[in-house]
Amino acid sequence: MQKRYWRCFVCNDIHCGVAPPELCPTCKVLNAYVEISAAEARTILGGGPDTSMPVEDFRAAIERFTVGNEFQVNPDREKVDLLLSGIFENERNHGLKFCPCRLRTKDWEEDLRIVCPCNFTIHETYKGIKDGECWCGLFVRRK
Amino acid sequence: MANLLMFHGRECPHCKNMMPLVDKFERESGITFDRREVWHDEKNADLMRSFREAIAPKCGKQLRVPTFLNADTKDAVCGEIEYEKLRDWALKQS
Repeated sequence: MQKRYWRCFVCNDIHCGVAPPELCPTCKVLNAYVEISAAEARTILGGGPDTSMPVEDFRAAIERFTVGNEFQVNPDREKVDLLLSGIFENERNHGLKFCPCRLRTKDWEEDLRIVCPCNFTIHETYKGIKDGECWCGLFVRRK
Repeated sequence: MANLLMFHGRECPHCKNMMPLVDKFERESGITFDRREVWHDEKNADLMRSFREAIAPKCGKQLRVPTFLNADTKDAVCGEIEYEKLRDWALKQS
């Protein structure tokens, strides 16, 4: 399925997906999304204030991401710190927050699968395993 | 002498944990791994990618690190493994 870009005509939220949301999650207007080009989306997203994310904000984001899920951020702070430094090095050097424990192939679709957090719940290191964790160990099954 | 490679990442905790085991194996056996860091050295990354067909089937269809590879036979083992497994695999290659 080809994902496309959509813009809320009221608040300029950008959505990427096969279809737009019925309700804009930001301004709550119904049927507000119009399809736009990838170039327009990039311009809108890149043209605002600096939206880069410091490492501590990313740490907080992944903590929030785990709330309500069966997994949590690894309580081993030293390991998480090493992984976060790698994730941010990879973003600086290669453009996205690639997993430090896998190598990108240079195939765009393939490489999107190793952007952190990846869909580790289907991986053999996690699925069906009592003490499962993602490949790098950033996320572990909640006890 | 087998051409043994170890692909690793500088910020990969599994790789970090394997390093002392690789050191120990090298001391005890006299066999050395050619260690290649892949996230900060594009030549090493390309070398690992060139072995994708050999590595991926044994590493969850991906280029995971750490990966230990016999560049001649294309036999590979990946992940954070116990010392005995690393030793037996490497000795089998020699």
